[in-house]
Amino acid sequence: MRSTRLATAAAMVLAASVALAGCGRDSGGGQDEAKSVGGGKASGEITVWAMGAEGEKLGEFAKEFSTENPDAKVTVTAVPWDAAHQKLASAIAAKQTPDVSMIGTTWQGEFAKTGALDPTPPDLIKKEDFFPGAWDTTIVDDTSYGVPWYVETRLIFYRKDLAARAGFPDGPKSWDDLKAMAKGMKDKAGAKWGINLQPPTKTGSWQSVLPFAWSNGAEVASADKLNFDTPETAEALRYYQSFFTEGLAPTALPEGSMEPGFVKGEIGAFISGPWHMGIVEEQGGPGFKDKYAVARMPMKKSSTSFIGGSSLAVFKDAKNRDGAWKFVQWLSKPEVQVKWYQAVKDLPAVQSAWDDQTLSGDTYLATFGEQLDSAKAPPAIPTWEQIASVVDTEIEKLCKKNADPAATAKAIQEQASAIGTGS
Amino acid sequence: MTSAPAAPARTAGETSPGRPAPVRRRKRLRQALTGWAFSAPFTVLFVVFMALPVVVSLVMSFTDLRSTDLRNPLAVNFLGIDNYARLFSDRLFLRSAVNTLVFVAVGVPLTMVLALAAATGLNSGLVRFRTLFRVGFYLPVVTSIVAIAVVWRFLLDPEIGLVNNLLRLVGVDGPSWLYDTRLALPSLIVMAAWRNFGFLMVIFLAGLQAVPADLYEAATLDGATRWQQFRNVTLPMLRPTLLFGGVVTGVGYLQLFEEPFVMTQGGPLSSTLSVSFHIYNQFGFGNYGYAAAASYVLFLAIVALSAVQFRLLRERS
Repeated sequence: MRSTRLATAAAMVLAASVALAGCGRDSGGGQDEAKSVGGGKASGEITVWAMGAEGEKLGEFAKEFSTENPDAKVTVTAVPWDAAHQKLASAIAAKQTPDVSMIGTTWQGEFAKTGALDPTPPDLIKKEDFFPGAWDTTIVDDTSYGVPWYVETRLIFYRKDLAARAGFPDGPKSWDDLKAMAKGMKDKAGAKWGINLQPPTKTGSWQSVLPFAWSNGAEVASADKLNFDTPETAEALRYYQSFFTEGLAPTALPEGSMEPGFVKGEIGAFISGPWHMGIVEEQGGPGFKDKYAVARMPMKKSSTSFIGGSSLAVFKDAKNRDGAWKFVQWLSKPEVQVKWYQAVKDLPAVQSAWDDQTLSGDTYLATFGEQLDSAKAPPAIPTWEQIASVVDTEIEKLCKKNADPAATAKAIQEQASAIGTGS
Repeated sequence: MTSAPAAPARTAGETSPGRPAPVRRRKRLRQALTGWAFSAPFTVLFVVFMALPVVVSLVMSFTDLRSTDLRNPLAVNFLGIDNYARLFSDRLFLRSAVNTLVFVAVGVPLTMVLALAAATGLNSGLVRFRTLFRVGFYLPVVTSIVAIAVVWRFLLDPEIGLVNNLLRLVGVDGPSWLYDTRLALPSLIVMAAWRNFGFLMVIFLAGLQAVPADLYEAATLDGATRWQQFRNVTLPMLRPTLLFGGVVTGVGYLQLFEEPFVMTQGGPLSSTLSVSFHIYNQFGFGNYGYAAAASYVLFLAIVALSAVQFRLLRERS
């Protein structure tokens, strides 16, 4: 009895493996042709998935689209961020996708490679309207598979009072400035830490480190080449590490204690995105907005920051493809992007939206706008998340265990090339 | 009707010698069919929702299936045991394996000792507040890990945490528990033991109450001390219960995931990365084939650990 059961199981496995071995992967990709979208107003139901605050607010916001296109109805499903990747993956596997979905920029490569996304129709969406760094996040195998919806980038947040006492009332301009400012804040202005740099908590520190490599002229990664092991990267890593070895940045700051530290003046500066304006202003109370400022990433060969955000993608399995693209185009109109900023504080991905007084009138926001012109994103390759986790792990060793910068660059390159670009 | 001639024969019983062979065979078939029909609901559910996924995941572990193959999952390359071979040269996997083994090797005995101590205490002394203590010790088991994580992160906070404040009272400058590569895993072990011993305590308590009182009586008459009684009466009588507790805790601890997930995210420097967490990450990266292979290695480790425990604690005949 037992042996027959074993034999059956073995036979099943064997049969399945023979069937699988017969298939093999076809070398796909790159044959997608963008089709044009019919004219006229949108009609029918358009199903949209969106995450986080966007998911909550988009349904109400889209009513205006329905006023302009009376025959169209937009149905928004809010998906929690935690479950979004899994839910999209399942929908793609089951070919039961919505018409449009919001997609995190680092997922673009993976989902485009499954062949589930519809290429962006160039007659409807114009590449030149968007920040170049944001547009690049939608490119997979030289084809665009989505439209940047909103963006974010990283700046130096610093305490004005401490910076003035450290001798940098206008904030840091160059790498040397940033270092000297952090030192001055600690030695002269009495801050406990000159600057907080990731990683006290590990995840996502690549987003703070790569800007320094990019600013130093390192290419790091492109769609078909991973190139971490360069003198430029090693120099950037050495610079980043020096904040830790010289005791200017904490190595073990507990989660959630950075913002109170910044408000109390114990931490002089940190690197983060636009959401931190709201957080520190809320924690600092009224008047705190005058106590801090934001500055562009310090200059080396360039001042290049990281660009993140989310895109909108239309699926090949969409039931209402034309309506979907028309809705995406509507969301990319400059005036709609400004309104969307007012509704949820998402920074516009469309460049001309930044001419609006709402954004250009605010010096903090204007600085983000300037930085976005040159901000870069990692290539949209399906393996990026995995490579990023390697970078995070090695950066942690660099900062906490004092690993050699050149060896770190080499270790990242070794592991990253073993993972590959997934093409 | 073909079954008509067989109908009267049924009352005569199966062993009736004069029946022609085809009839008997047909009757067997009918019985078999009826049997299968009755078990069909279970069998179908089992095959569709248990056996099939297991077989598919096993096959998957021999392929290079990635998340980019979602729309066309059959178009993958068959790799043989390549995934398994790669696992054992994957530094992170080896690191996570060591972490998990340390967690099991230290955590299981610690939890069992705590549980046994609490159970013995409740069984002998402390009669008055027994229910209160039982509820108190059991509470962490039924509390959500997320709530526990929040509380423990507060306790272990290097600046404002209770633990370090108590240490400061006696003049010791406490470390930053969860952010130190040497202390993060031990901290998680202590937390896991605290969280889980209540469950074992209830099991052990039931085991203790099943030990016949006359055995202790006899031991007392023989002049055995409390410790000797515990050593020579309680422990041997409790052997099956201990075995159960050890296996259940060992299997649970080998699958360590929640504690590092909510407390440390596997850090610092991968010092709390467990095998399950590594598998979770690999699934997240979309390396489905590779992650499935790692899952099967973990499965084999669990089987092996259970086998060893059964052998060690088996009743001596």
